[in-house]
Amino acid sequence: MRLLIVEDEQKTAAYLHKGLSENGFVVDVTDRGEEGLCLARTGEYDLVILDVMLPERDSWSVIAEIRRSGKQTPVLFLTARDAVQDRVKGLELGADDYLVKPFAFSELLARVRSILRRGPARQPELLRIVDLEIDLLRHKATRGGTRLDLTPKEFALLSLLARRTGEVFSRTLIAEQVWDMNFCSDTNVVDVAVRRLRGKVDDSFPTKLIQTVRGVGYVLEGRSADNSL
Amino acid sequence: MSSKGAQQTTASRAAWQSSWSWSITGRLTVLYTCSALAILVLSTIFLYWVLVSNVAKGGEQFLSDKIHVLRMILRERPNNPEALEEEVKWEGTALHFARYDARIVDADGHILTETPGMSAMLPAEVFPAPSGVAEELGDGLEWRSPDRRTYLLRAAWAEVGRFSGTPRLLQVALDVSQADELLHDYRRKLALVLFVGTACAAGAGAAVARQGMHPLRAITEAAQRITPTRLRERIDPARWPKELTILATAFDEMLTRLEDSFTRLAQFAADLAHELRTPINNLMGEAEVVLSRARPPHEYRQVLESSLEEYARLSQMIDSLLFLARADSAEARIERSQFDAVQAIEAVREFHEAVAEEQGVEVTCHGKAVVNTDPMLFRRAVSNLLSNALQYTSRGGRVSIAVEQTADHAVDVRVSDTGSGIDSAHLPRIFDRFYRADRARSPHASGTGLGLAIVKSIMTLHNGTITIQIEPAKGTTVTLRFPLRH
Repeated sequence: MRLLIVEDEQKTAAYLHKGLSENGFVVDVTDRGEEGLCLARTGEYDLVILDVMLPERDSWSVIAEIRRSGKQTPVLFLTARDAVQDRVKGLELGADDYLVKPFAFSELLARVRSILRRGPARQPELLRIVDLEIDLLRHKATRGGTRLDLTPKEFALLSLLARRTGEVFSRTLIAEQVWDMNFCSDTNVVDVAVRRLRGKVDDSFPTKLIQTVRGVGYVLEGRSADNSL
Repeated sequence: MSSKGAQQTTASRAAWQSSWSWSITGRLTVLYTCSALAILVLSTIFLYWVLVSNVAKGGEQFLSDKIHVLRMILRERPNNPEALEEEVKWEGTALHFARYDARIVDADGHILTETPGMSAMLPAEVFPAPSGVAEELGDGLEWRSPDRRTYLLRAAWAEVGRFSGTPRLLQVALDVSQADELLHDYRRKLALVLFVGTACAAGAGAAVARQGMHPLRAITEAAQRITPTRLRERIDPARWPKELTILATAFDEMLTRLEDSFTRLAQFAADLAHELRTPINNLMGEAEVVLSRARPPHEYRQVLESSLEEYARLSQMIDSLLFLARADSAEARIERSQFDAVQAIEAVREFHEAVAEEQGVEVTCHGKAVVNTDPMLFRRAVSNLLSNALQYTSRGGRVSIAVEQTADHAVDVRVSDTGSGIDSAHLPRIFDRFYRADRARSPHASGTGLGLAIVKSIMTLHNGTITIQIEPAKGTTVTLRFPLRH
């Protein structure tokens, strides 16, 4: 998967490049809108990550130009301005998603993957991670053959993590996906919920599946704890 | 382009209006002057009219007296022509203020006798029709001679002797040119009086108006003394005349509100600095210490992980502050929709269920109402309140959320807990940003201290209200009131 990052802030560009490369993407970086536009029009990219405030050329016109040239490459906006009008403008011009700075890298990764996954993605009916089995149709989860007694929300949380094993979920994303609470909240609700889920899924088994990535969020992984991002 | 043009028009109209809007002193002066002028004009007109009618009456009276005298002489002493001669010829010249002429004509039109020189100036034809012998005397006629003198003329028939039949025609004239000059002079003086009087009235009016406006100037000066650094100053309402007391009171109240928001703003800035200082201090310190010597990798990792936690907190704080800033701005908009309040609250309750169970606190929700609000903001408000309530309620306690449609087209959402409650001393500042009632007890309590401020903002966006009731040892109740129509 090839990504193009157009970002003039050197540090941001550097860590995005590093993080995305390490997650298996081929990444090109430019700090100029003109060059970014040129690359986006000629190169074969699967996604463009575009900072809203660019020197020389503003990103609105970059997006408009990309779309005018007939390219349907998905675009993810990064913005330091959190004005609703900006978002609307970006989405209207054909951006696929936006992220407001500051954002967690895991959040960006999740969004990038979600954009790239869009399209004909078939949901499996049965997930299997080591000895954990989740039947999404019957809302049933077993581990080592034993039925796990989960509340509906716990089941939703477990299947969210299990559907994308190895992906780190931030607390905000979990709250949004499981409880539909799409605002950041002061509370440690997600932590408590994950702790209780762990009690049911992991406590009586030697292999711990749900892992905490400190400062970032939670991940469900079959292989033994390798906490690198 | 067109809006720019419209703006310019508005601006120029404003400038035009301000250049034509008079000062109150100016208006009062003009009003005083106009009323003084009106009074002066009316009184001079009246006085002039009195004078004119008096002068006219005097002339008429004089002439009718003369006719009486001549008739008397002709009737009583018809054979004494000297008396008549005396009366006709010399009486008129004896008058010192005006010339008086008399003429006696017989029935055929022959002049019998007249004041010398009368024929040259006053021919017989210019006289009015004479009154009959027995008739009342008619009105005199004012006549202007070719040499621009004004005469009052009268004519009447008179009997000669008691029994003789041939009557005589009497023609008398009074030169009233002098009276005319008098009136003319009087008019000039009246005009002068009018002019000077008006000027004096204008001057006096201006002085009085200025004196009257003095308190306003004084109150302006008092207001000008108040600056951001001297917000404590007040315009004491007791010092001012009755009319300005209301203004002074309103102004003082406005100052109190301003001072309050200034204080809050200053406090907010101080709190913000404090809130930022702690995590940034941790970040700096940890990084510096860990870099000061070579360490095993897991120690670096630990510091980075701890930093991430601090960053997350900072980022969350920025999110909340941005939310508050947006809610404060005038263009903040909300997306209203109708939904079942209880369902939304149930969702929030489910979100907090794990925490509530861990703490051994029972959360219940009852009531029934449909609200017309922004669904996300509604949940956020309830979620913040519930989270607060759970934080202050100890094991075995209860939090109940009641929804109720009130009589006056509003929906109340009441979150009551059986917790320790907040000291009522904190109440005035409880909705302030970063304010924490338990700061002293636990300076690192979870949360950013923005929860209630956000709830307050959400209620303001909905034109709603938030109230807190504290019953010591029993618990706290927070009531959100969402009006159905805005």
